[in-house]
Amino acid sequence: MTPNGALVFAAIIILATMVSRVSGLLLLAVLSVLFVVIEVGRHATTVLRRALALTIPLALFMIAVWVGVVGRAPEDIAADQPGSRLSALAYVAIVCARLFLIVAITQAGALRFSALTPLQFVKTLRMPLTFKRLAVLTLSLIETLHQAIDRAHTALIASGVITRRLSVRNLLHGWVLVQTVWLTAITSVTGRMRDKWPIENTLNLLDPLLTEQKAPRFDARDKTWIALGAVAATVIVWADVHGAP
Amino acid sequence: MARREFIAGRNFSGRSQALIAQAKRFGPQTYFIGPYAEAALSGLSSMVADEIELYRAKGNAVPRPSFGQITVDPHRKPQSLSGGEQVMLALHCFSVSAYTALAIDTALEQLDTRNRREAFGYLDEGAFDVALTDNRTRPTQWNHLELTTTDLRYACDWDQLGAAIVPNRAPLITIRQLSFSYQPGRDIFRDAQATLEPGRAHRLTGPNGAGKTTLLKILVGALVPRTARILLDDVAYQPWRSGNVALALATQNPDQQWCGATLREDMARRRAALAGRGIQKSLADQRIAKLASTLGVSSVDQHLYELPLAARKRISWLWPFAGAHPWIMLDEPTIGQDDETCAALAHALALFCEAGYGVMFVTHDDGFAAAVPHCVLHVENMQIS
Amino acid sequence: MFTTPRLIAIALCAALNFALGSVVFLVKLPIYLDSIGTILCALLIYPDRKAAFVCSFLAAMISTILTTIFINPFLIWFSGTELAIALMAALVIARSDDVFRARPLPVVKFGARVVFYGILTGVAAAVVSAPVVAYVFGGVTGSGSAFLVAFFLKAGEHLMTAVLHSGFTAEPIDKTLQVLLAALLYRATPADFIAMVRAQPVPAPT
Repeated sequence: MTPNGALVFAAIIILATMVSRVSGLLLLAVLSVLFVVIEVGRHATTVLRRALALTIPLALFMIAVWVGVVGRAPEDIAADQPGSRLSALAYVAIVCARLFLIVAITQAGALRFSALTPLQFVKTLRMPLTFKRLAVLTLSLIETLHQAIDRAHTALIASGVITRRLSVRNLLHGWVLVQTVWLTAITSVTGRMRDKWPIENTLNLLDPLLTEQKAPRFDARDKTWIALGAVAATVIVWADVHGAP
Repeated sequence: MARREFIAGRNFSGRSQALIAQAKRFGPQTYFIGPYAEAALSGLSSMVADEIELYRAKGNAVPRPSFGQITVDPHRKPQSLSGGEQVMLALHCFSVSAYTALAIDTALEQLDTRNRREAFGYLDEGAFDVALTDNRTRPTQWNHLELTTTDLRYACDWDQLGAAIVPNRAPLITIRQLSFSYQPGRDIFRDAQATLEPGRAHRLTGPNGAGKTTLLKILVGALVPRTARILLDDVAYQPWRSGNVALALATQNPDQQWCGATLREDMARRRAALAGRGIQKSLADQRIAKLASTLGVSSVDQHLYELPLAARKRISWLWPFAGAHPWIMLDEPTIGQDDETCAALAHALALFCEAGYGVMFVTHDDGFAAAVPHCVLHVENMQIS
Repeated sequence: MFTTPRLIAIALCAALNFALGSVVFLVKLPIYLDSIGTILCALLIYPDRKAAFVCSFLAAMISTILTTIFINPFLIWFSGTELAIALMAALVIARSDDVFRARPLPVVKFGARVVFYGILTGVAAAVVSAPVVAYVFGGVTGSGSAFLVAFFLKAGEHLMTAVLHSGFTAEPIDKTLQVLLAALLYRATPADFIAMVRAQPVPAPT
């Protein structure tokens, strides 16, 4: 499977999730499970774990608000009906089921290609060269910033300007860490743009790597999954038009 | 025949510009390793494997031996490597690339003795042009370009600095039962112990990843050990709870320690952070301005990031030298500094020890270390010896 | 439009948006700092407003996509909000770049503009975010503003109205903080970097 195919398939599933009702969600869940098991394989439990880790806190929060505080569903409020906590719970369940599916398919897509290096991943994407360059630059600079954050954090704690734990000082001075990190990164990239890149013509090394195209945009596996997703989405929309639950 | 060009001179004599001019004369196939943070890296990769792949020659390989074995995990992020590891990676990338010339601006100073020897061996024997500046070595049988004029705008006044030292009384730091790990089951320290004596300099040594930086982070309170009994004289000290009251730190990359865009902002914040501790006098504006001028910066409104790198490195010593804390910690202070500055710094550290301060430093520069009377704290195998 | 320094600025600002989550966690701040890079990118590239908008929106989208994949899979739904912030940054906030960099700092003028822009951006963000919060997240995104939504719902307001009112309360505060931080970072940025980023692309010879 290619990243392009995974992106398109995930987009179809996510869009279908947003418009589907309960029966549609069940169909999409089955398709997603098949995708996770076949494409992600041994990392399938990781997908489940991450999806649960992200959705459960949100679900608890929603239950506290909708069931605990409000006590009725939005449709009841809109129709000026008394509603019930049960209808509120049903509403929360559907929203959380949608969110769970969205998270699961996103994580599955990311984990499917975890064996690729960032350069390999970006290389396979079908997008304009400028965007590929940007993606590569951004990923590299993220790591630069992360290292700078770690080192600047130590130095600023050492100087007493910020503290290790939550404090009023951090509320007032936490932004100094942001500034230090920003300026460190600026200095680093300015030096590269001024010296290393012009001397080496470094960016010219990147472009041929990013524009190597040996594989087609979608392979057979991509087309199969995209077709399945499209069929599921069509069924869902048809069912919605004909009033299925 | 391959060209070997060594560009010698003091700081601010124009060596970097001369090196870049020479690199351009070599032609467009020149690989450059600069002196500043991450200047060895392309800035285009977020994995070691990608960095190598980027530079690897595609069908137009130059026949030359590959440099070094890459022992780091290829999935590791290049930015997380130490300075020395980045330089070694850069040399390896050059060796597998199609570049036919190499220009290095003081970057080899970040290497330990063994790697430095290996790097110079490769440069001496390779069939490629090389241009180099370095403060620690003057390779023989290379063409030497000696630059004699120096921009005095950033000149230090070491005599004035020595006269400005405020006596202090550093406490004895006793470390016992130190245990720490970043991940369960992978201890960095296990029941380690050490004693840091006031009035003395201590050199922290040990292989990369041994825990030198971790020890430092624990002492300033950025990390919480699993167990530790740390005493300042006889008083229990837990900087991760109560904050750092002992160590003034100058980081290896000076840009990562500033608390402001200008020196005035930086010192004002540090002063405010220490308010109520009775050390305001040592951090007063006038004294700071005077200290800054001894370290080559004439105005406290100077934008720190607009200074040349060597000047930024020197002004990063201002905080430890200001006397706010009784212990001074310098991380690789001599990188990019000429011999005269290194000798003066070594002398200054000795003066600080005489004035009652405690000093810790990390350096690969054995010459500098030898000029500072010191004892060694070796960090390895979860212990400090 | 996309010179190398501008590509760097876009990537740096996107990386800043992404990485600031780490800073928030380390200093335990109870806020989000996910659009500072977006606003900063517009400030750096102004006065070329078109380029400022395009570059700042690109920075926003790159960080949104990366954050969606690696940290918060819900963020992509707020792409419309990112567009609104990029527009505000390029067309409105960046007009005060001279005030933000003035030395000495004109405190009152600086503060007034930050607050004004923050409120304006917050209102815009609240309006654009409201449909997403209401229909994708059922009114609750897991932040403290959810209780504001609950309060308004309990009072009998419809979902969309409740979300809007909650947004009008919380977003201006958050965006004012982000405009302030972006302005301070812009103020501290070395002049030579800004000059590199603002240099116009050299047209190809004809």
